[in-house]
Amino acid sequence: MSAEQAGSAGLARDLRLVAWQVRYEQRAFWRNRRRSIFSLAFPLMFLLIFGLLNRHSHLKSLGGVSYITFFVPGIVAYTVMVVGFTNMAMSIALLRSEGILKRLKATPMPASAYLIGVTLSTVLTIFLATALLLLVGVVVFGVSIRASTLPGLIVTLIAGTAAFATLGIAVSRLIPKPDSGSPILMFITLPLAFFSNVFFPLGGSVKWLETIAKALPLQPLADGLQSAFYPHTTGAGFVGKDLLTLAIWTVIGCWLMVKTMRTLSAKD
Amino acid sequence: MRHAIEVTDLHKRYAEVQALRGVSFHVGAGEVFCMLGPNGAGKTTCTEILEGHRLASSGAVSVLGHDPARGERAMRERIGVVLQSCGVQEDLTVAELVEMYGRYYPRRRSAEELIELVELDAKRDARAGTLSGGQRRRLDLALALVGDPDLIFLDEPTTGFDPHARRQAWSTIKSLCSLGKTVFLTTHYMDEAQHLADRVAVMAAGRIVALGSPQELGGRDALPSEIRFTLPEGVGVGELPQLPPDADVQLDPDRGTGGGVLVRTAEGVAAAHALTGWALERGIELRGFSVAQPTLEDVYLALTAQDGEGSAGAQPAAAVAEAGAGTPG
Repeated sequence: MSAEQAGSAGLARDLRLVAWQVRYEQRAFWRNRRRSIFSLAFPLMFLLIFGLLNRHSHLKSLGGVSYITFFVPGIVAYTVMVVGFTNMAMSIALLRSEGILKRLKATPMPASAYLIGVTLSTVLTIFLATALLLLVGVVVFGVSIRASTLPGLIVTLIAGTAAFATLGIAVSRLIPKPDSGSPILMFITLPLAFFSNVFFPLGGSVKWLETIAKALPLQPLADGLQSAFYPHTTGAGFVGKDLLTLAIWTVIGCWLMVKTMRTLSAKD
Repeated sequence: MRHAIEVTDLHKRYAEVQALRGVSFHVGAGEVFCMLGPNGAGKTTCTEILEGHRLASSGAVSVLGHDPARGERAMRERIGVVLQSCGVQEDLTVAELVEMYGRYYPRRRSAEELIELVELDAKRDARAGTLSGGQRRRLDLALALVGDPDLIFLDEPTTGFDPHARRQAWSTIKSLCSLGKTVFLTTHYMDEAQHLADRVAVMAAGRIVALGSPQELGGRDALPSEIRFTLPEGVGVGELPQLPPDADVQLDPDRGTGGGVLVRTAEGVAAAHALTGWALERGIELRGFSVAQPTLEDVYLALTAQDGEGSAGAQPAAAVAEAGAGTPG
């Protein structure tokens, strides 16, 4: 066998390991009630409650778009954040503090393959949750998904997922113990959700807060997704400035993630 | 034959403390090698360097022909590690974990067989998070063996076990030896070292202070016998019969002021004969009469005390080193 063949056989083996890791992560995730409730049942509950309460409302500030057309993509953005950010952060924090990482390092499994498995599993969870929320939006609330803006919807969703997953890995450094993880992450995500056009439109009353929101990743994600749903949107649904903001956050997230991974695999 | 582990003049320095001060030893293939020592002696640091978790400050290390500092996958495919406290993915079951970790290795043992070996059959579908402490340790052992390793590191494998579970763990470890595996073991327990090890290294304050089989460690086989007994009231030590010339007679510190006597002599048989003959002739009862070799524990305590005494500061400093070793790096 040539070195090249051995290399590609090794790569194929590692890809299989990643695929298996995704399966195990998925199994563990859906089995852990606390995590699956936070990631899926909460957004679903928000969607049903806010949706039913505002069933017949229309938003003047958005040119008379129905509230539910605004809120379905909003809650999807919120879910991408909670699952991507919170789950990645908690998974990595657990890996470190429980000594799983130490055990893993003694095995032939490359830490990178493991982390890629965890990340892909999170992406899969985000897509499943999004599909479920959209299904409820369509079936229960009669929201329509537009074929013409579908490319924009998908690309924005991927960009948001990339930004939050990488930032989640980075923020795991702020979590000293898994117990303190939930409050710390809630403290970041919940206020952000309230001023990022997710639950209700801000309507221009507090300008500086909106400026901050636009610079952070949640508002651009919500905005990008929402515009794909609005009937007045023309073109394929790409919102350039939102995608740019998400791309910048992904770059920052990747940089912090690489730093975090280096620390995780360092020896002293 | 090539040694499974070779360590030459290993030093490890943390910011403030010198944890290893020139450690050298080798472990032969198929040998059970045990490292004994008090907390902070440097056992864990040494083990972690061998496993590739830590980098040495200086010295040469070879594990199955690899340099562990390079973290080669080929080496990790052939070693199994049981660490002192190490988490698992608690939402997965015993069977799932054994299967999952098994996939990481090119050569692996059957999951069913391993679960049986560590006697977790009844718990195979229980989530790891619900296992008791002892069951978790057994799962640790199964996960360390799943890649059918040639060399197994066991860091205090039976700490916290009840006596029954310890016996079981010992017999599992013995069965590994019969398969030709090399075992590198650290422990606090003398009986564990005595029971399992082919050779024992005693560490104190970052150095190996003695190395040998449990029988001959620290010249134990050549040490004088110890004869202990209690004299009845009214009979003084001065009245004892003629004993071999090397005999050292003193009041037994373990028996307080109750007339306990301790005789140390290389000629234990002659001394015992003289004493019992004298007692029978005089009609004196020697309560609690015993003849014994110093135990491994005595030797160990003597060895580790030498290093602790005279440099009272050395021990706490070394303890800091091992505490530091516990923080996630």
